[in-house]
Amino acid sequence: MLNISGDYIYQSIIQAPIYHLLLEGILFMWVIWLLKRKKINPTEEQPLSAKEQQQIIDHFEPKPLIYNGDSRDEGVEGDESSEIDWGTIDGPAGKYIEIDGTKYLNLATHNYLGFVEEPSILDETERCIRQYGVGSCGPRGFYGTVDVHLELEEAIAKFLNLEETALYAYSFAAISSAIPSYAKRGDVIFADEHVNFAIQRGLIASRSEIRYFKHNDVEDLTRLLNLQRKADLQNPVKAKAIRRFCVVEGIYSKTGLICPLKEISELCLEFKVRLFVDESISFGAIGQTGRGITEYLNVPRENIDFISGSLEQGLGAFGGFIVGSSYVVDHQRISGLGYCFSASLPPMLAGAGIQALKLIESNPQLIQELQNNCEYMDRKLRSLSVFTISGHPLSPVKHMSLKKSFGSRKTDKLLLKEIAFHVRENAKIAVVMPAYLEKEEKTLLPPSIRIAVNRLLKDNEMDDVVTALKEAANVVLSKPDLPDYDEPKSQN
Amino acid sequence: MITVGGHGEDNPNVSWLNSRGMWLTYSIVVTLLHLFLLSVPFLSIPVAWTLTNLIHNSINFVFLHVLKGAPWEPQDQGLARRLTHWEQIDYGVQFTSTRKFLTIFPIILFFLASFYTRYDPRHFILNFVTLLFVVIPKLPQFHRVRLFGINKY
Repeated sequence: MLNISGDYIYQSIIQAPIYHLLLEGILFMWVIWLLKRKKINPTEEQPLSAKEQQQIIDHFEPKPLIYNGDSRDEGVEGDESSEIDWGTIDGPAGKYIEIDGTKYLNLATHNYLGFVEEPSILDETERCIRQYGVGSCGPRGFYGTVDVHLELEEAIAKFLNLEETALYAYSFAAISSAIPSYAKRGDVIFADEHVNFAIQRGLIASRSEIRYFKHNDVEDLTRLLNLQRKADLQNPVKAKAIRRFCVVEGIYSKTGLICPLKEISELCLEFKVRLFVDESISFGAIGQTGRGITEYLNVPRENIDFISGSLEQGLGAFGGFIVGSSYVVDHQRISGLGYCFSASLPPMLAGAGIQALKLIESNPQLIQELQNNCEYMDRKLRSLSVFTISGHPLSPVKHMSLKKSFGSRKTDKLLLKEIAFHVRENAKIAVVMPAYLEKEEKTLLPPSIRIAVNRLLKDNEMDDVVTALKEAANVVLSKPDLPDYDEPKSQN
Repeated sequence: MITVGGHGEDNPNVSWLNSRGMWLTYSIVVTLLHLFLLSVPFLSIPVAWTLTNLIHNSINFVFLHVLKGAPWEPQDQGLARRLTHWEQIDYGVQFTSTRKFLTIFPIILFFLASFYTRYDPRHFILNFVTLLFVVIPKLPQFHRVRLFGINKY
């Protein structure tokens, strides 16, 4: 190789066939062309010309530093519910709630088991504050793990007889991080059309293909699964590369209905679809001992890939969790964005969660009391003639919408708001309308008043609630001079 | 599994070939391969050159144009899952320095191999066919194109 003389090179080129020389010529030209082409550096920013700079400066319109009260500036457009001023709450939202200095019976916030203001939970919280301080100072993987976090994770896993739990600081973040950590581009997710907003966000963040099936409609889901199977058989190579998921809620927060989990889990097994169940509401609220929808419907938990739950609704603490087999849940510790990149749950709230779980485990009658109240309330509410009640009898969340629409959605909303205020001012009972970002929601349900039942309500208090609602509906709906009321808008 | 972090890149495959000293390292590795082949007693100089070319081109083809996705878990929701490494480089921008280098390198290697094999037709066919395998997929016209649906998903 090293003894190259001029003669050798000359000889070689002379010997080279003509096609070879031509080919090398072409390749050489191409190399030159490539080298002479304008270099593109993707990391380098293109400098703006003076004219472009001036254009940007001219178009700049500074926003006011102080919010001027015009919700069109700040809020999401079309979101009228955020414009309703419900007042300012002082103190804890327990059985009673203090709004602007007045005490009301609270049916507005989620406190199913009445654990807000539960003395033993407060004691445990105080103990945790004394021991750990108020914050955890970091994400779970970065000095933010405290022994109570691990204890709570273990307690939840043990409570549900599953292998592992991943604890999140916020239940909205739990499900909306968990879905995109498994489902990626090109995958297919089947989801109920009325899943809550956190799930919807998770579905969007996953970038997967989303197929919504009709609310609690197993047949519609079967139809979609069969379509998918047909497509998979036509293109088996593609079918091998994609994953399929199904996302449902235990009790739907938007409708209060229970999901037919038994049928859905069987379908998912049959069609090899991974199943995620959000038990934000049903955890601690349903089932003989409060273990959620799986216990209530007697579905084996191994058939569900993960269950997500919330400590915010029933348990009077804060945070969310994903519980399932170690194989599934452990993946989130490196790829659940809300888990990795968000400060962990304050230890005092983890302590509250542990105490709340202990209470549920040692007193199963708490669940029974809650379910009795839910059933009683359901029966009473259904006697009201002007409202349609949406919600399973055992669901602590009940939605009351107007049986007969008064024109437009906006009118109905105004009327319901009037009713809610009437109930609040005359009977000292706080009820609320659920707030939705209407432009962002996948499906819009008729406007409703949401009743959140809790364990501490007495029968006569629930009677009072129903009577107050009835009275308020009578007064408001017979009032002729409501704005927008006489002229129903054309849009429905 | 390697987790991604620290360099602000969703997917390190986009940029690691742009690192400082990459061209030098690449050339040194190929030279070392060639010197190793030359040092094998029963391989003649033309065979060593053709082997260098073949090995380089097959590795280049497999790693840049066959394997898809990334060996770590990129935070891109599976964007890279259906892209070969070549398609991931510089987020798919064409005619960047790295792309030019990786295109020109096999051509230069082909010139050298042709010269040292004295334009022998048998060596030429091997060298030229493998060259096509590494150069044609690098053309901008073939970006995200899968001929006959091969290696599509």
